[in-house]
Amino acid sequence: MSEYLRLLEHDIHIAALSFMGLAYAIRAFWLFSFRPVTEKSLPAGHPSRTVASSLFTVARPWTIEKHRRTPVFYAQFVVFHIGAAAAISLTFIIPHWPELLAIEAVVRLMQVTLIAAFVAGMARLYRRLSDPSLRLISTWDDYFALVMMNLFYVLGAWTISNRCGACGWIVLTFFLVAALIHLYVPFSKIVHYLYYPFVRYYLGKAMAHRGIGRYVHPEESSWRNKL
Amino acid sequence: MKGRIVSLAAGSQPDSRSATQYRMLSRLFRERLTREMAFSMVSCVHCGACAQACHYALARAHDPCMTPAYKADQIRRMFNRNMNWICRILSGRLNAGTSAADADMERLRDIVFGACTGCRRCTFNCPIGVDNAALIRFTRGILTEMGVVPEGLSNASRNQWLSGNQMSVTEEEFFDSLDWIKAELQYELGVGDLDILVDKKDCDIIYAVNPREIKYDPHSLMNAAKLFYLAGESWTLPRYGWDQTNFGLFSGDDRLGAFMAGNLYRAAERLRARRIVVSECGHGYRSVRWEGYSWANNQQTIPTESVVETVMRYLIEGRIKVDRLRNTGSVTFHDSCNVARYGGLVEEPRWVLKQVCSDFREMYPNGVNNFCCTGGGGLLTMPEYRPLRLEVARIKADQLKVTEADTVCTMCHNCRDGLGDLIDHYQLNMKVVQVMDLVAEALVLPPGNEGNINE
Repeated sequence: MSEYLRLLEHDIHIAALSFMGLAYAIRAFWLFSFRPVTEKSLPAGHPSRTVASSLFTVARPWTIEKHRRTPVFYAQFVVFHIGAAAAISLTFIIPHWPELLAIEAVVRLMQVTLIAAFVAGMARLYRRLSDPSLRLISTWDDYFALVMMNLFYVLGAWTISNRCGACGWIVLTFFLVAALIHLYVPFSKIVHYLYYPFVRYYLGKAMAHRGIGRYVHPEESSWRNKL
Repeated sequence: MKGRIVSLAAGSQPDSRSATQYRMLSRLFRERLTREMAFSMVSCVHCGACAQACHYALARAHDPCMTPAYKADQIRRMFNRNMNWICRILSGRLNAGTSAADADMERLRDIVFGACTGCRRCTFNCPIGVDNAALIRFTRGILTEMGVVPEGLSNASRNQWLSGNQMSVTEEEFFDSLDWIKAELQYELGVGDLDILVDKKDCDIIYAVNPREIKYDPHSLMNAAKLFYLAGESWTLPRYGWDQTNFGLFSGDDRLGAFMAGNLYRAAERLRARRIVVSECGHGYRSVRWEGYSWANNQQTIPTESVVETVMRYLIEGRIKVDRLRNTGSVTFHDSCNVARYGGLVEEPRWVLKQVCSDFREMYPNGVNNFCCTGGGGLLTMPEYRPLRLEVARIKADQLKVTEADTVCTMCHNCRDGLGDLIDHYQLNMKVVQVMDLVAEALVLPPGNEGNINE
């Protein structure tokens, strides 16, 4: 068992990460091969602040109608994504910094985060299955990615408890799922975290160019159409 | 509208017509897709947050096909089949497919032209920032190129190509209207030196209008002429290129967009004007001020603004005087999507309204969060989609009702018609005006120059 575990924790994990990095690079190269929009009009706004606001939209729930109307949806989103970060961190902590898991507080924090993420993930799965409009737009990938992440969280929480215990197969399964996720991510919707900064940057840049989303007192009449 | 668009899955055998259309689709995708749109194509996670932002989805909650992500997915499926190398390999699993048969095309036309006004509210309310409105316009452009376009939109576009204006106004009609406006204004103001000049060189302002101001609603142009006269402005209308509207924006045809915007830019250059001012028209403002320069590949060199910004400038500089007590009724403001969400003008019209009205009250939500009047995206030229448009206008009607205002003011001709239509349909006791109507009413004439204004 330990030989398999060593292979999964180190060699396969690194190979899967390398594959993921390569696939990301190819996809980024492909997306950047499309021509960018060229603005010929004179700018009306100051880019940096609007672009920053756009990039930090995830941290500004009041800017999104769905988040304003249903704060629970936003809470699920936050918990789910923090869980993703925790589970991925765990794939590095276990093989490289196992001493961290000797600290009781770290173990408890990790477990609570992962279990909360699992609950949020299940709620998201339920919502996707029960809402007709979501069901209509959901693809095979949407379901599979969600199930895979939920499995990742629950195995992560279980792995921490059993790291020093007898159930080595749980740790083994956790690393197997981690490797599968690394291989699958570039081809699935999970890759959105890679696109997010670019999409937000382009939208923020377009908004900033037109002075959208920024309060300017109209009496500052010289700010617009500056030559 | 219900149900998925029938797709030609990988490996199926399209007939020859579909095969031709499929090749055309592929070519257009490759030629026209920009980087920003490509990122929007691949980034949607189907979270469904956009459904809360779209007036179609909110008003037809029972119809999941109204979700913006669903509409964008019909385009995304074509992208995945044509452009996305991963999806081409795994087409059955990753939402790939293409619509190439006639029925598929017609269904896609009904979605992108009939079930979306391109108001961009879903874009602003997408956590990722997926620009569904840009994808809709992109698809409209492809369908227009393939000849799958609603008749009304096609006719208006043809008029612009042939006559340089969407209503095929002849030069004779143009000058007749200007003569009538001039005579009316001279009488109203009691002055004989007021003139409306055409093609005058070296003016400070070249003014572009919506053809309806020439053909059906000369009062809009009359208000502007009155404003310019009282401000002592040096202004002119071009003989050709005076139509600021642009059906290239609605049809997604960037070449028409370039042609129409280019007409005005060339006129401004020819007449050596120092500033382009467009009358109150949402899509006209957006086209002339923003997209037009890129479509026409013309680097902007002179300021371009809406007449509402001009009014604001005159008020700040003290060139005109207004009396807000002349507009005592309660007034609320409807932000045009093209002006606020695409154009960034939110505070300016409010500032002007607060100068010319004594009872201004906000509508909620407003600014970049405002709901579309439902007449945007060229939908007023497509009567076949009117029943659906009026059904989803319930969202706007509810918004208007809550304000309890007597008047709703906007700075867009399309919004004016769209709001008028829904006010009739939902029997709201309101009237629709434009900012310039209220400004003209509030304008204070110089002492001893009261003219015959009361008549």
